[in-house]
Amino acid sequence: MRKPDGKIVLLGDMNVGKTSLLQRYMERRFPDTVSTVGGAFYLKQWRSFNISIWDTAGREQFHGLGSMYCRGAAAVILTYDVNHLQSLVELEDRFLGLTDTASKDCLFAIVGNKVDLTEEGAAESGEKEGHDPSKAGGGCASPRVPKQVQLEDAMALYKKILKYKMLDEKDVPAAEQMCFETSAKTGYNVDLLFETLFDMVVPMILQQRAEGPPQTVDITSSKPTKRTRSGCCA
Amino acid sequence: MMNIKAFTLVSAVERELLMGDKERINIECVECCGRNLYVGTNDCFLYHFLLEEKALPAGTAAFTATRQLHRHLGFRKPVNELRAASALNRLLVLCDNCITLVDMLNLEPVPSGARIKGATAFALNENPVSADPFCVEVCILSVKRRTVQVFLVYEDRVQIVKELSTPEQPLAVAVDGHFLCLALTTQYIILNYSTGLSQDLFPYCSEEKRPIVKRIGRQEFLLAGPGGLGMFATVAGISQRAPVHWAENVIGAAVCFPYVIALDDEFITVHSMLDQQQKQTLPFKEGHILQDFEGRVIVATSKGVYILVPLPLEKQIQDLLANRRVEEALVLAKGARRNIPKEKFQVMYRRILQQAGFIQFAQLQFLEAKELFRSGQLDVRELISLYPFLLPTSSSFTRSHPPLHEYADLNQLTQGDQEKMAKCKRFLMSYLNEVRSTEVANGYKEDIDTALLKLYAEADHDSLLDLLVTENFCLLTDSAAWLEKHKKYFALGLLYHYNNQDAAALQLWVNIVNGDIQDSTRSDLYEYIVDFLTYCLDQELVWTYADWVLQRSEEVGVQVFTKRPWDEQQKNSFNPDDIISCLKKYPKALVKYLEHLVIDRRLQKEEYHTHLAVLYLEEVLQQRAAAASQGSEPSDTQTKLRHLLQKSDLYRVHFLIERIQGAGLPMESAILHGKLGEHGKALHILVHELGDFSAAEDYCLWGSEGQDAPCRRHLFHTLLAMYLHAGPAAHELTVAAVDLLNRHATEFDATQVLQLLPGSWSVQLLCPFLTGAMRDSIHARRTTQVAVGLARSENLIYTYNKMKLKGSAIWLSDQKLCQLCQNPFGEPVFVRYPNGGLVHTHCATNRHTTPSSPSPGTRT
Ligand SMILES: Nc1nc2c(ncn2[C@@H]2O[C@H](COP(=O)(O)OP(=O)(O)OP(=O)(O)O)[C@@H](O)[C@H]2O)c(=O)[nH]1
Ligand SMILES: [Mg+2]
Repeated sequence: MRKPDGKIVLLGDMNVGKTSLLQRYMERRFPDTVSTVGGAFYLKQWRSFNISIWDTAGREQFHGLGSMYCRGAAAVILTYDVNHLQSLVELEDRFLGLTDTASKDCLFAIVGNKVDLTEEGAAESGEKEGHDPSKAGGGCASPRVPKQVQLEDAMALYKKILKYKMLDEKDVPAAEQMCFETSAKTGYNVDLLFETLFDMVVPMILQQRAEGPPQTVDITSSKPTKRTRSGCCA
Repeated sequence: MMNIKAFTLVSAVERELLMGDKERINIECVECCGRNLYVGTNDCFLYHFLLEEKALPAGTAAFTATRQLHRHLGFRKPVNELRAASALNRLLVLCDNCITLVDMLNLEPVPSGARIKGATAFALNENPVSADPFCVEVCILSVKRRTVQVFLVYEDRVQIVKELSTPEQPLAVAVDGHFLCLALTTQYIILNYSTGLSQDLFPYCSEEKRPIVKRIGRQEFLLAGPGGLGMFATVAGISQRAPVHWAENVIGAAVCFPYVIALDDEFITVHSMLDQQQKQTLPFKEGHILQDFEGRVIVATSKGVYILVPLPLEKQIQDLLANRRVEEALVLAKGARRNIPKEKFQVMYRRILQQAGFIQFAQLQFLEAKELFRSGQLDVRELISLYPFLLPTSSSFTRSHPPLHEYADLNQLTQGDQEKMAKCKRFLMSYLNEVRSTEVANGYKEDIDTALLKLYAEADHDSLLDLLVTENFCLLTDSAAWLEKHKKYFALGLLYHYNNQDAAALQLWVNIVNGDIQDSTRSDLYEYIVDFLTYCLDQELVWTYADWVLQRSEEVGVQVFTKRPWDEQQKNSFNPDDIISCLKKYPKALVKYLEHLVIDRRLQKEEYHTHLAVLYLEEVLQQRAAAASQGSEPSDTQTKLRHLLQKSDLYRVHFLIERIQGAGLPMESAILHGKLGEHGKALHILVHELGDFSAAEDYCLWGSEGQDAPCRRHLFHTLLAMYLHAGPAAHELTVAAVDLLNRHATEFDATQVLQLLPGSWSVQLLCPFLTGAMRDSIHARRTTQVAVGLARSENLIYTYNKMKLKGSAIWLSDQKLCQLCQNPFGEPVFVRYPNGGLVHTHCATNRHTTPSSPSPGTRT
């Protein structure tokens, strides 16, 4: 088994669409899913790196496994359902704590899925024609299904996470960059989400490699005399 | 989920063998080490059996156990656990919270009485830290609350290494290196016993279910998680594999690569570690022990012991393939890589890839099939041989045995579905086309190209022609028959040509053009044939078909002679006279050919030039006769005739003048007279017969082309004289004279002209002439002056050089010796070399060399 170079973990309440997002990205389809048992993972080759992406189970029963899945993760995707406010609340209450085991410079993305069910989302994913000319200028009609969670709410959560992690906003990607609204059903923003993260994770992998223990011993460049002297005179 | 047969369950120790009819005796624990099987019972007995394995043809095996010694351990408690340490020849027996060491053969406790007291459970370290082979590492769960201990166990003594306390009461343990994997009351943890650091894994509830902690390989454990999950965790606390999904009431787990086996009340389930899928379910009631011992998996009820015999991986893979479960078969095969020697694996794996390729192929999954064929390095002929009649009859190919697939041929595979058949053929076309130029084709290029030709021909595919006009290995007889069958006669011709049978090729093509056989591949086949003959090196063939091509079109047909490549013409392989006599019957072709000789190839042969001129003339005369009324514009032929008469100096002028006499072709006769040097006559015709003054002027120019200036001047003066001679009455000619002078001022000798001109002409009238003449003369004077100046200065340079050479006077005395003979000079005459050396005159004439040792610096 090829060892992955980096890990990304999807967290979020059951039924928000974690499995669907992953299937959409990896297999380019939107099949019927069953609620995930335990967890599953995919290996994605990105440039010369192998990135493992873990799909976790949102069901309460499997909640305890989250910490272990997150251990050493380079990025965590916190997923909620834009039509379900509670699913955003759960991210903070229940899932954020699981990420304590993640890598210390772990990235966080917050993803509101199922935008296709909202009026805005439907417009974004293809029904662009058919604008009533009489309403020229009035860009958005009143949504048939009002979106319960706005992107701003997700961004506010992102900033809370930074506080919780005691991270400086200047040191991490901006909220605008890390909050997404997606639809696993239409594929809207799905590639963008994953590939943005991959591109951010790659430098982290490289840095880890650079910091990690050297794989080979360099016998040519050892300068014993100098080192000993500085060692014993200090 | 479809199942796979990975294991068969066979009985090892029957109930009778163990306990006869004693109802209350139960099996508590088992251990298996090589052929030794040990069983511990609830009545504190230890049994030893020898296992005999007999392989059965279906890939499974049968076991018979023969009972050896048995011994009562001397307690009234059940035997809880048994572990063999074969290197020490010891069994570790846990009974009544005490681990005793007994001899593996006679089952006697070690005489030293070494034992570990106060243990509720224990585990051996299968990845020991110590390098001592005669020592095993044992971790025990102590009867003391929340305590674990690590021991080193030798042949007849034990030694405690470490005691650690745990945050909660431990219930189960497994060991790998320094790492203990522990099931505590509410969670699993990893504990490094050398550093004491611990790492939480995940929580579970020990009240609801019994924990399972099972080492499955280097630094990796398998744990029973919530909801019946089998969770994988490494010593670093990370999960590297997705969990497997067991029943909630799972009792035990074991590993037999690449499978995880689990036991519950009713079933033994088998999951693959490679894809986490459940692969097999075996009903098994009342099981309570499931363990693996060095690859052997044993299950037991309280009454009997059974062995799960794994089917050979190859057989499993074949079963998967037989069920078209390609993906799983490949995963399994790849997973087996490290368990099979490299050479053997490669052969096996390649074959599996090929088989998988055919399965995908049969489902028309061509992309996948192609990739599998490629990576499996399939002999393409295996694929070709599926298609009836594609392999050449001469091919030595036989399909591999055992077969890679179950299909006799494509008809069977597609069950006669024409659409599927067509898809398969299209695939083969693109596949063969791709591989034919790669090393995959080495050794059987003939088979591939012939098959490809057949497919193309049958499908009426354009690439057929590309195949035949580029390098190919199509076998002649097979391909020819096929092309004929499919009426691809043009292509057949190409095939013949490729095989150096041009005569056969041409015969076919000519037949097509003649309509004897039908093939509409090329609408311009006639032109194609002409082109073919043009470049054909076989003269015989060209002569054979010359008449045929000329009869169809003289103009196009003649190209077989006129367009031949230069280098071939150079070698003079065709004699022009032969061609001319052949072309007698085809006048248009003949003209074209002569034009080719005279104009393109510039052959300087009188005959051709005269012949061509005569042919032109004849045609002009014919056109005249036909048109009757004299057209003002000269026809094309007439232009060509004039051009030839003007440019060529080779034709027989007198002969042509004779032919032209009285034909009313004044321009042509003027040219002819000009050729004879009869300029007066020629100009007379132009001026007086034709009245074409500009033609007369042109005549002066081209008539003197390549001649010297006086000749040209003579012509112009002749013309001028002719104009002026007519007198002022002929007004037109006077105007022509003025124009001539004004236009060609420099061609005349002005002084001479001025004497000729009538006094009445005004200066105004002749202004351009006069200025021109003036400028010309001034120009001549100035250039001459420049020349004189240049000549003078040149002369000056020479004079200067001469003076310099003379230099200063040379003193001749007795001391001066001739540099050649070294004698003094006897007379005043001497020779001086440019470098200053002085020699006798006679010495200089004797030796035409410079003095051998000229003194540096010329001492004169
Ligand atoms: N309309 C719509 N439905 C979606 C979308 N994503 C997921 N769903 C549906 O939501 C349901 C749950 O999706 P899953 O992907 O199984 O959810 P999950 O987050 O993996 O759930 P757990 O595995 O239980 O944690 C399914 O019925 C999906 O079809 C989406 O973008 N749009
Ligand atoms: Mg899921």
